[in-house]
Amino acid sequence: MKFAIALFASPHSPAARRALRFAEATLAGGHEIVRLFFYQDGVHSASANVVAAQDEPDVAAEWSRFVSANRLDGVVCIAAGLRRGVLDEGEAQRYRRPAANLAAGWELSGLGQLHEAAQQADRLVCFGGH
Amino acid sequence: MATLHLLSHSPFADDRLASCLPLLGADDALLLSGDAVYALHANTRQRQALEKLPETVALFALEEDVRARALEALPARVTLVDYPGFVELSCRYERVNSWL
Repeated sequence: MKFAIALFASPHSPAARRALRFAEATLAGGHEIVRLFFYQDGVHSASANVVAAQDEPDVAAEWSRFVSANRLDGVVCIAAGLRRGVLDEGEAQRYRRPAANLAAGWELSGLGQLHEAAQQADRLVCFGGH
Repeated sequence: MATLHLLSHSPFADDRLASCLPLLGADDALLLSGDAVYALHANTRQRQALEKLPETVALFALEEDVRARALEALPARVTLVDYPGFVELSCRYERVNSWL
């Protein structure tokens, strides 16, 4: 089955970890992830600058490894990312910011990518809350 | 279409659960995750509301969230699932509606 998975909550929220564990379980179960989409505060999980406490899981880093290792289509909403300071090289130059922080595996794109993923997938599963 | 409703907010903090329950179709299911599992707490209105759901409405809860909160004496009708079970439910029901 084809899944689209969207994350709306910040990396230190239980929802970010829950979405990651769910995504891992879909691939382990032989399913396909057509796209991951990070929206609203979910975009912070695509930042390479998140530092987790030593006794807590580094969910943002786990996401980056997961997306890269499985060559997934990982999309971060560009409007949500810009307003929260999640920038790739192109946007950092465009807006003259000192650094880019988009983690490996991710790309910035528009909300239309979520709509398209919902059409292509058999199931759209959204994660937020606590 | 049978829908899996996914709740993750505490039913003691907002009215998502209360809004969701009347909308459940006869073949729909409810999956409690995160703080939403507190709805299973004994001797609460929220638990009573869950137990009054029609028998055709299936009730699930994410096991790790139930264990993390040390909830015991669970309703007989609730089925605990792990992440592979969560994925299986997402496949079994035609839609997944997250109460974000």
